[in-house]
Amino acid sequence: KQHYIQRRRRTKWTFARRHQTTWNKHQECSCRAVFERYKDLHVYQLEHPTQVLEWTSGNSVCVAGYSQSKNEILELRLPLKLLADENKSLCAERDFKVSHGGFTDGPVRCLTHIPGTRCAVTNDGLSSDLQVWDLGGEESDVIRRTGSIKGKRSASERGSRIAARPSSAPQVLHGAQISDVQLTELASGETLYKLETDSADPLSSLQFVSDTVFLAGCCNGSVYVADTRTSAPPQLSHSPSSAESVIWWTDAAAGPHPSSRRVIRVSSSGQAVVSDLRNLGGAGCQAQLDVQTPGRCSQVKVSWAPTLDDCISVSGFSGVVQIYNTRLWGAEPQEARPLFEHRGHAVSSQQTDDSVPTFVTSHIWHPERPRTLLSAASDGSVHVWDWVDPNRQGGSPTP
Amino acid sequence: MPEIKVTPLGAGQDVGRSCILVSIGGKNIMLDCGMHMGYNDDRRFPDFSYITQNGRLTDFLDCLIISHFHLDHCGALPYMSEMVGYDGPIYMTHPTKAICPILLEDFRKITVDKKGETNFFTSQMIKDCMKKVIPLNLHQTVQVDDELEIKAYYAGHVLGAAMVHIKVGSESVVYTGDYNMTPDRHLGAAWIDKCRPDILISESTYATTIRDSKRCRERDFLKKVHESIERGGKVLIPVFALGRAQELCILLETFWERMNLKAPIYFSTGLTEKANHYYKLFITWTNQKIRKTFVQRNMFEFKHIKAFDRSYADNPGPMVVFATPGMLHAGQSLQIFKKWAGNEKNMVIMPGYCVQGTIGHKILNGQRKLEMEGRAQNGPLLDVKLQVEYMSFSAHADAKGIMQLIRMAEPRNMLLVHGEAVKMEFLKGKIEQEFSIDCYMPANGETTTVTTNPSVPVDISLNLLKREMALGGPLPDPKKPRTMHGTLIMKENSLKLVSSEQALKELGLNEHQLRFTCHVQLQDPHSDADTLHRIYTHLKSVLKGYTIQHLPDGTVIVESIVIKVSSSAEDSNTKVLLLSWSYQVIIEPLLKKSFLYPAVLANPPLKSDVISSFWVQTLLQFPDSNKHCGITES
Repeated sequence: KQHYIQRRRRTKWTFARRHQTTWNKHQECSCRAVFERYKDLHVYQLEHPTQVLEWTSGNSVCVAGYSQSKNEILELRLPLKLLADENKSLCAERDFKVSHGGFTDGPVRCLTHIPGTRCAVTNDGLSSDLQVWDLGGEESDVIRRTGSIKGKRSASERGSRIAARPSSAPQVLHGAQISDVQLTELASGETLYKLETDSADPLSSLQFVSDTVFLAGCCNGSVYVADTRTSAPPQLSHSPSSAESVIWWTDAAAGPHPSSRRVIRVSSSGQAVVSDLRNLGGAGCQAQLDVQTPGRCSQVKVSWAPTLDDCISVSGFSGVVQIYNTRLWGAEPQEARPLFEHRGHAVSSQQTDDSVPTFVTSHIWHPERPRTLLSAASDGSVHVWDWVDPNRQGGSPTP
Repeated sequence: MPEIKVTPLGAGQDVGRSCILVSIGGKNIMLDCGMHMGYNDDRRFPDFSYITQNGRLTDFLDCLIISHFHLDHCGALPYMSEMVGYDGPIYMTHPTKAICPILLEDFRKITVDKKGETNFFTSQMIKDCMKKVIPLNLHQTVQVDDELEIKAYYAGHVLGAAMVHIKVGSESVVYTGDYNMTPDRHLGAAWIDKCRPDILISESTYATTIRDSKRCRERDFLKKVHESIERGGKVLIPVFALGRAQELCILLETFWERMNLKAPIYFSTGLTEKANHYYKLFITWTNQKIRKTFVQRNMFEFKHIKAFDRSYADNPGPMVVFATPGMLHAGQSLQIFKKWAGNEKNMVIMPGYCVQGTIGHKILNGQRKLEMEGRAQNGPLLDVKLQVEYMSFSAHADAKGIMQLIRMAEPRNMLLVHGEAVKMEFLKGKIEQEFSIDCYMPANGETTTVTTNPSVPVDISLNLLKREMALGGPLPDPKKPRTMHGTLIMKENSLKLVSSEQALKELGLNEHQLRFTCHVQLQDPHSDADTLHRIYTHLKSVLKGYTIQHLPDGTVIVESIVIKVSSSAEDSNTKVLLLSWSYQVIIEPLLKKSFLYPAVLANPPLKSDVISSFWVQTLLQFPDSNKHCGITES
């Protein structure tokens, strides 16, 4: 107990001292903090905010506007300085290059690049129709629309989700609700596969977890896993909670080892549940995330880190992107503290209208660089950041 | 049609050796006369033979305008004026005129004295060339000759950088040089009038770039300096006397204050004097904040930054030193570099571009062993162990900035130069879509021709004006163009617009009356007389306020328009209406009631067509008539 009191005293003292410090001292802290928290931090301002961030290669990313009328799709090349491992200091190039660009007539709510091609597929969030784009090659910097895929629903509340995987003939898996999910060949428009189910639950996520197996996450929290090679009914895992007002978002880690294939579900109230992809109904770990505002519809994004084991990133609840270590979570939902928090969008926002706080519209991990992420916000800002694990500072590795 | 021609002799789809030829209203103007830093041969200078193959430069060019002091915009100036030969006027702003010769001399020294090149301009040539320069003030209209006038606008970018508006008669061109649409710590943002030039020639260096924020750039700079200081190292920052140096000093001063750092910061003395001198001279060219502070204190009166003495370089412990020149090719920065290069704790931060052949260029290319001058051949090499950092602070407009400038100036055509060789089709499309103007990107030697619509002043008689006003109803909107009727008379080199009566009088001509007729077919089973009566009652109800008469001879007359009805020979149900009217202004108010009026204005020769279709429209509303209406015209 004495030890506890001593510690309390000490904290109190530091607290008081901290408050005595000048404004300058406070700035010193923030300056040092940024120096220490990030290995790299680049801040860009797009003309219009984007809700999509999609890799088209290891060093290019696609963004697109979501205003009601005309928008641009841009393919941006990441700065050499960020990607350079050797002679980083001799590289002064720290800007995005617009390598390709094109115009759309409507908003872009969802954009998926088809691996191994220069082709992307978009959806406007208003119907389940898809637009097909040629991202342009060496000879041209223009992104052109080359076709479209008619969806099942002319008007839909949240638009289609799109997933793609490498294949000899480009094809996409898409749908606005679970009963719509189908695999379409781009060139012919032919339906190669249809998910057999009667449920009309709207989709919040759709992704391939292997060459043929895909996962479809519904807004109500239930998750379907199916194989495009068979017409067998999908494996269904019901929602982790029965609450009706919450919306769930899902992401699966597609690691090489079966044991690393896990699914995370995050709800609009900040509840997070991790389960094993092979046994979705089995017991997993869970947590209550440290988020204040209930998640805005269609904005929340949850994503497994591609190379850091057990780490997830979450955004869309406010102006921050959080990173959590799920290894610290238990069987019962407990309050979890983020491992790292990127507050840059909220802090450096140039938005003049205070009544609408800036919120993060999307974020994405770099496929190879372990701690590099891109994030975009409602004020048009895009940040590229390489964060430093606070537990690893000073060379001590994470337990 | 009158036209403006633009031909880049350098910087067409390329960065470096900016040089653009403009032919406007019979005048030939050269914009910038830059040098390419990447080449040592003929490609270094713009291709003047494009002009000289047909005669002397002085005979061809009316003037030469230099936008700013960077060598890729003024580096070929002495070569052009003294070696190729040009004696006409050269315009540049005051700061450019002051700084340009210093840079040219610096560059001459590197090329001739260090690299041993011959056939290059001499110091005397630089001096002679500068004597031909006429300085420009911001926003001052300078009359080059009776017809050609130029005006300079603020461009940001570097001290003294200007955009120029070139005007001959009603035709005009704006050349931006290099510019920056976001203010920085010591310069403001570019600004221009809504001057609506025929062509806006803009640089596009960063047109395909989305820039990392200035804050991140500065934070990285501070982080590097801080790291080195914390480990006890010394930091050398080679700078050119003006511009970036001031910016970085302001930044470090604030950082030192904020972090409560104790390590000394020095700047070499030559630097202060020169910089202060120029800043005093050209304070109006910096941004507002600097202008305000300058009133209270000297630009270089910093709390933490002190004057440097060469003996300080050997002092123990960490320090930061700003020294000239910026490319480490001579002088104090090179001396300090040699002293500190051997210690890996130390750091050199290169804040800008370095010309080939300089130590700066070599270390930025990763060279770690340097041959030093003054040492014996094959003597020991200088081992570069210190950390080398390259940072770019250059200020150009990005795509957003270019769009902003277009919005400001509202040009009729856009021409992009000074861009990387990469395709800029997307930007071209973006400009064309957003502003509905054409966008060109000519290569070197390729001419872009733009036809212009120069306005021709015409005198108008007061009587005609008054009459037209009386006809038009309410007073016309002064912001909107308006069509009016009159006769244009060209007489003794002057143009005047008079009423047609007066024109007839002056020319001694008689007025002729034209009468138009047309046939309209209708399906109506009634007798001819009944049909005519029905038409009469219909028109009475439709055209209220007009004189409509039904005459006993079987005609209906609306104002001056005569309508007669007869049955077709083949089919008694088909009625043929004969419409006949004289060409009179009175018809117009009648037509104004209908939606056809704009069409009449747009296409006066078709007036008779329009009038007949007006009648068809009116008659189509005729009750009970079978909507089968044909029209023949005589």
